[in-house]
Amino acid sequence: MDVLTINHLNKKYEKFQLRDVSFQVGQGRIMGFIGRNGAGKTTTMKSMLNLVHTESGSIHFFGLEMKAHEFEIKQRIACIFGAANYYAQSSLRSIADVYSRFYKTWDEALYRSYLERFELDPGKKIRQLSQGMSIKFALALALSHHAEFLILDEPTSGLDPLSRDELLTVFENIVDQEGASILFSTHITSDLDKNADDITYIKNGEIVASQPKQAFLDAYRMVEGTPDALSSALKQKIIGYHERKGEFSGLLRKCDAGEAHGCSVTPADLETIMVYTERKETHE
Amino acid sequence: MNNLVYKEFKLSVHTTSYLFLFLPAMLLIPSYPYYVAFFYQTLGIFFTFLNGNTTNDITFTTLLPIRKRDAVKARVITVVAFELLQIIVSIPFAIVRLRLIPLENQAGMEANMALFGLVFVMFGIFNIIFLPGFYKTAYKTGAPFLWACLAMTLFTVAAEAAIHLIPGWGAALDNVGTAGLPAQAGVLLTGVLAFVGLTYLAYTRSVQRFEALDL
Repeated sequence: MDVLTINHLNKKYEKFQLRDVSFQVGQGRIMGFIGRNGAGKTTTMKSMLNLVHTESGSIHFFGLEMKAHEFEIKQRIACIFGAANYYAQSSLRSIADVYSRFYKTWDEALYRSYLERFELDPGKKIRQLSQGMSIKFALALALSHHAEFLILDEPTSGLDPLSRDELLTVFENIVDQEGASILFSTHITSDLDKNADDITYIKNGEIVASQPKQAFLDAYRMVEGTPDALSSALKQKIIGYHERKGEFSGLLRKCDAGEAHGCSVTPADLETIMVYTERKETHE
Repeated sequence: MNNLVYKEFKLSVHTTSYLFLFLPAMLLIPSYPYYVAFFYQTLGIFFTFLNGNTTNDITFTTLLPIRKRDAVKARVITVVAFELLQIIVSIPFAIVRLRLIPLENQAGMEANMALFGLVFVMFGIFNIIFLPGFYKTAYKTGAPFLWACLAMTLFTVAAEAAIHLIPGWGAALDNVGTAGLPAQAGVLLTGVLAFVGLTYLAYTRSVQRFEALDL
């Protein structure tokens, strides 16, 4: 069963619109939610949580309709929007004391183990934490009530490579050992190269793709070479064509890659796909 | 709901609200506009809302497993708690003032039951203007507080003027003798009813506005 099903979500702002957003997150999966800044990632996440009113569409968690079962659903999920940048003057202990009261499944021993693992001092105040430490604290809270589904908005931004790696390992553990599922938005696509199972890519408020990561990656090829080698028909098909000093680079759909004779054709990673797809918009 | 109110007191309430609970001691000043001693608590409440913007209180609260309307309810309960505490703390000072300081208040109402009735109305006016005003945006605090202050000032000035200008009202209401007690009790009761009515209206309007907001 899917832990999250979004169908035909629409939300209109003065200068931005979510258009017919639909995707699903399967149980035990890590889904990366990618898109450039302002593409609609946070608005989609807020819509999922009833923080933003949508014009149409439906949102189901664990098969339950969000509007009708908001309280029950929120018990079973955890959400982190950036770091724990709230109540700067309060201690970690005070915030955890309040937070834990809201969750029937709060596991104090597990919470303490996360504090130890992340080297967090409960007596410290939020303002004394670095960005990385405050993200870890937010995660410690979220992970300590055995959430079945974690919604994380940019959880790894502001972290050093070691801390990022440590967190990604934590994500893998909770998926592998607890059977939880994760939806996390990020613009650090290398995090997703490591451990995402699925990718949902949003662009200008519309879902461009939502599929298993491997299928998403397989759909594209990176192509490089000299412009002379390109027929004009093929050049038209290149996504995000970029030329400099007699060399070009760009992205091709896999089905078109066979025509790129005399060019270097290599597998594309997430960052390449995102950058070249977005570049198409800005350079044409 | 208990958890949310606990959260309010543990994380959200600004320290000044506690400090201002000592200000009813101003009732011991022989001549003073005693409304001011109560007005300070509305300033403390304003600081709690203002501080909420800095502490991202709304974000933290709305991500908890609660309904949006419950976040408003817990905040209104907290506001009412401080307003009532301000009045409760002032009662001993009013008694001491009446018993030990035999001087007439030259600056406004005496510290009697009618004053408490008027203070209840003042708090009700604050609640009906400030709370729905804030929940219209859930971050703008300045303008709603300014309008609330203006309305409270107009009300207290009008109340003082009425008591001094309408024949018989001053003798009955601005008095510490026993003769005016029934009239003063009437003002107190009216004040309490107005406070309850206005605050309930403030709550329902705030909920409507907060529910309609995109956060």
